[in-house]
Amino acid sequence: MKKTLAILCALCLCLSVFAASAETVKASQPWKIALITMDSIDQHWVKLNEGAQAKATELGVEVTFMSPNTKDDAQQIECVNNAVAGGYNAIMVAANGPDAISSALKEAQAAGVKIVYVDSPANVPAEATFSTDNQAAGKTAGETMIAALTAANITEGSIGIVNVNAATDSTVKREAGFRSAFEGTKFTLLETQYGEGDAAKSQTIAENYITQGVVGIFGCNEGSTTGTGNAIKASGKAIIGVGFDKSDAILGLIQDGYLLATMAQNPDVMGSMGVEACVKALEGENLGGAVTDTGVSVLTK
Amino acid sequence: MQAKRLNPARRFLAIRGMASAMIAFVALIVIYIVFGLREPNVFSSANIQNLLRSMSKYLIIGIGQSYLLITGNIDLSLGSVVGMSAMISATLMTHGTNPLVAALISLVCCLMIGFINGVLVGKAQLPPFIATLGTMFVARGIAYMINGNRNTDAIASGIGKEAGDSFQNVFYYGKTLGVYNTFLVALAVFAVFFFLLSKTRTGRHIYAIGSNMDAAKLSGVSVFATTTKAYMVSAFCSFMVGLILCAQAGMGNMEAGNMYEMYAVAAGVIGGISPLGGTGLLLGTLAGAAVWQTLENGLNMIGAQVGLQRIVIGVIVVFSVLLDVVVRRGTRKRNK
Repeated sequence: MKKTLAILCALCLCLSVFAASAETVKASQPWKIALITMDSIDQHWVKLNEGAQAKATELGVEVTFMSPNTKDDAQQIECVNNAVAGGYNAIMVAANGPDAISSALKEAQAAGVKIVYVDSPANVPAEATFSTDNQAAGKTAGETMIAALTAANITEGSIGIVNVNAATDSTVKREAGFRSAFEGTKFTLLETQYGEGDAAKSQTIAENYITQGVVGIFGCNEGSTTGTGNAIKASGKAIIGVGFDKSDAILGLIQDGYLLATMAQNPDVMGSMGVEACVKALEGENLGGAVTDTGVSVLTK
Repeated sequence: MQAKRLNPARRFLAIRGMASAMIAFVALIVIYIVFGLREPNVFSSANIQNLLRSMSKYLIIGIGQSYLLITGNIDLSLGSVVGMSAMISATLMTHGTNPLVAALISLVCCLMIGFINGVLVGKAQLPPFIATLGTMFVARGIAYMINGNRNTDAIASGIGKEAGDSFQNVFYYGKTLGVYNTFLVALAVFAVFFFLLSKTRTGRHIYAIGSNMDAAKLSGVSVFATTTKAYMVSAFCSFMVGLILCAQAGMGNMEAGNMYEMYAVAAGVIGGISPLGGTGLLLGTLAGAAVWQTLENGLNMIGAQVGLQRIVIGVIVVFSVLLDVVVRRGTRKRNK
């Protein structure tokens, strides 16, 4: 038994080693960069990683995707600690909670690791930030919804908001932007509900909103939007659903008419520019903590 | 009785649960070396420090759950109590309460959940799986409600920058004698509960009700008192991990400790704590927690997929229990 266990462990690990083997290094400075997003499941992060990997191959550096399995502050901090202990030269991070991760990032900086933010910054000054202006994008989402409601001759009624949680900075800003678009209208924005970015939980929330008789629902991220779209689909009602992020499921829901629009960010651009910035910073260039808006486009049918 | 005639090494392994604990240590070394061959930084002193700090939380909750597993029970509320501890402490601190006072209030609340678990399981004879499933939801609900369904602000905002920093240093970011404080805290918790389990009457009672409840009752062991003590140990461990997570994030997170009850079962079981009760050593839990953390750390460091991480851990847990079942069957046959 003892041997079987040991052999099995070893086997599993060897398999993982093969699965994880990524790219060959070809440049003179093979910097090691850790990419730590909020989780490793959302297509948003997968796309961001793809953008980063493509740039890494081009520049001849190594990017390792070291993200937690769910949006969890403690797990994300562990990933930062692992990257520092693993001798990475730079960390590209999308902060899940801007407060929570700050002490760990300071510790990383003290160990000489360069920090670049992608998507969501934390409270510690870093080399550079590549993100969507979430508040502006949220406002665009709100305006898109108002336009659709007006077109359908609806000028009042309640609107539900499905968010991730109260700590994720990017989605909190989207919600704030969305709410700001409704100032001066007769619509009532209901109390925000949190679905942890989980499509199933978000769907339940959206279904509850539909039971309350809402005219529109806003999903603040990929999971929230998928859940919202599925709930509208299941209800069969003409509710205006507007969401955030791009995935095959969301695009399908838009094609089939259950969602009106989604605000598509450009995660691949974030990843690609993030790697570039890491390399520049590692080669001694001062980026001065500049914040770059990577933009958003409104995707409709 | 036979053990007296054996040589020291065999006598050592003849201690119930020792063989399984040693297997876990061997597995740990194998896993560590395999990762190290793939990623040399695994062997760096920075990573060893990092590993010790990260495994501390699994060690502490593992100890708590081991106490219950040895009594033949389980504590599903453990992870939620971690969240409750983090949220109560952090909320109080953001309102300016002294960290020590905040921790004490949080401790009392956590111990109350432990006591309630003890009453439900030990006195009312509810199945532990159901009783603690209930308190799991209750404790998580409290964690949500403490700060009005929101995570707290940074603790430094209430108690001030200096007190906030020192709290974070004491439990997570600081080092004493070159070792992260978190690990020293875990070692202290380990030492206390190791002593309680192996050197005191309470410890013997915990093994007794786990291996044969009726026999224990007939010999005058109070099942209620012993079960309650075990649940309160578990609640105390959850409380400590709550403080660590609170210090780590510098704030209270409502989801803190999510799923930890299961990680704790895994740490114990990998280390040879029998989920059927009556056997197991905290030394095994130490090895189990280290195995778990080394896997997480190593797989993360080589950029392995999350799904793979889960599969590896799942397989190891099942094999550990299988080992326990096979060993038990063997012992029973020999005794016949």
